[in-house]
Amino acid sequence: MPAAQFDVRVVENRALTGGYFVLEFEAARPVPIAAARPGQFVMLRGDWGRELLNPRAFSILHAPDDRHFSILAKVYGRGTARMAALAPGDPMTATAPLGVGFPAARAGVTQLLVAGGVGLPPLHLQARVAAREVGPRSVELLYGGRNRDDLVLLEDFARWGVQTHLATEDGSVGARGYVTVALRERIELARARGEVIELLSCGPTPMLRAVREIGLAAARPTYLCLEENMACGFGACLGCAVPVHGPKPYRYCCSDGPVFDAREVRW
Amino acid sequence: MNMHESTDANSRAVELNCSFGHLPLKTPLLAASGCFAYAEPFAQFVDLRLLGGISTKGISPLPRHGNPLPRICETASGMLNSIGLENVGVDAFLRDKLPLLRELGVSVWVNFFGTDFETYIECARALGGADGIDVLEMNISCPNIKKGGIEFGTVPEVAHRLTRACVDVTDTPIVVKLSPNAGDIVGMAAAVKEAGACGVSLINTITGMAIDVRRRRPRIATTYGGLSGPAIKPIGLRMVHQVARALPGFPICGMGGILSGEDALEYLMAGAHCVQVGTACFAEPGAIVRITEELRGLMGELNIATVADAIGCLEALPPEVEYRAPR
Repeated sequence: MPAAQFDVRVVENRALTGGYFVLEFEAARPVPIAAARPGQFVMLRGDWGRELLNPRAFSILHAPDDRHFSILAKVYGRGTARMAALAPGDPMTATAPLGVGFPAARAGVTQLLVAGGVGLPPLHLQARVAAREVGPRSVELLYGGRNRDDLVLLEDFARWGVQTHLATEDGSVGARGYVTVALRERIELARARGEVIELLSCGPTPMLRAVREIGLAAARPTYLCLEENMACGFGACLGCAVPVHGPKPYRYCCSDGPVFDAREVRW
Repeated sequence: MNMHESTDANSRAVELNCSFGHLPLKTPLLAASGCFAYAEPFAQFVDLRLLGGISTKGISPLPRHGNPLPRICETASGMLNSIGLENVGVDAFLRDKLPLLRELGVSVWVNFFGTDFETYIECARALGGADGIDVLEMNISCPNIKKGGIEFGTVPEVAHRLTRACVDVTDTPIVVKLSPNAGDIVGMAAAVKEAGACGVSLINTITGMAIDVRRRRPRIATTYGGLSGPAIKPIGLRMVHQVARALPGFPICGMGGILSGEDALEYLMAGAHCVQVGTACFAEPGAIVRITEELRGLMGELNIATVADAIGCLEALPPEVEYRAPR
């Protein structure tokens, strides 16, 4: 599906806990975003003059129709700081949909969605689509953060009937500790039940490394949604190299990913 | 000029057809090497036939895999990159990439480089024999190549020998892309002109660095990278102007931080015959088409009818009358 660049306006900037915010956008014209797969992303740039040149990449949180989409963000640097201050009606330029997303949910497989912090959006969309198209039991969310405020949009999973396993470092909600502890336990349970599972993960790199090792050790299909600095988002700048095994040492987060098979990633 | 003409009428009258030496161009705006891949990723966003030309990603005799990550970081009004001259190599370029470029009907500039004299010559010979290449843009200036490459771009005698050696093995015109890291940009341009280059491209990126103080690490893996974007435009303009003044009539392709029609016109006024747009294409894949229309509109507004009229039309500031204090 070819991507397009188009003008958008902010419909809503909704603050969540933990410094997270959801930005909803409306495109000036119909765009091919409603067909975006979970894991696909949008490059967004505001009216930032000549100071900040490059757009920022965000996983698509939801795209209900061909004029609307939303993202989840947190202030991380100069670009997201400006985005946090956006108000309804403010313009941005979007390029989407970009990249290759997660494998779709399907009957007979339980996809364990392992999310950390700002890595929630592609797994949130995966759960939304899976619950609708295959059934809520085809996915389960394992979601970790530092504390209760880090875990957002949980009410959506409840509404869709998707089971969640929460973990916080301070124990303020769910199990105390890293989400990878819950993941190990869930994999053991699946093994005991003879359940067919896949791991889909997005979050901070240390967490993804751990998920990769757990998934490979358990010999379960594992897919990681990665993040790298990127200038373009569509395969031109070659800035977002990802080290991989295979004939060539690198592939590209934007055009070959951002979702990669964990076996391929050379970490 | 007719003062009653509207700006619209003026911009319709503007002629963007132009030439770079003997080479005709539909417009003076080309895509810059390293910022446009081999054009395919842009085809989904923009009608590539509206470009004046495309300079490809730098091609070397053998494929190169590029540098470790992180490879890029954004800086104030610019970005640093150290991609490492990743490319598919001459054979795959000619087989897989050139056919699309050839079909577009725009000026095809193939940027190339080697790691030593022999590989530069090998590359010039292999590319020079292919149909559909209008210019070989010889990159003697990439900061992201380790092995002795720096001398090609900074020592006029070495640049002269290298240019002459490549000119001798091909009939395709060679434009030499110069490094702003050279101490004497005019000396470099004069040396490659004398060696048979049909023009120069300037400037390549400027070597720089950025530091993440919290992690005590350079922000790109190779520590140093090439700075591009509006941050380097004043330097690009200055160098274009210096070379244009020293070597009147010698074709210059100007670049460095062009984001608007006004930026492009500044380069033309400084003495560039055409320009390349690079970093702007990342954020806005259709940037060159927008800039082309902005340039047309601005030239119309300023009653500059042709690109030739714009080139080097900069006027020197009048000398100040000597101040004499009242007695």
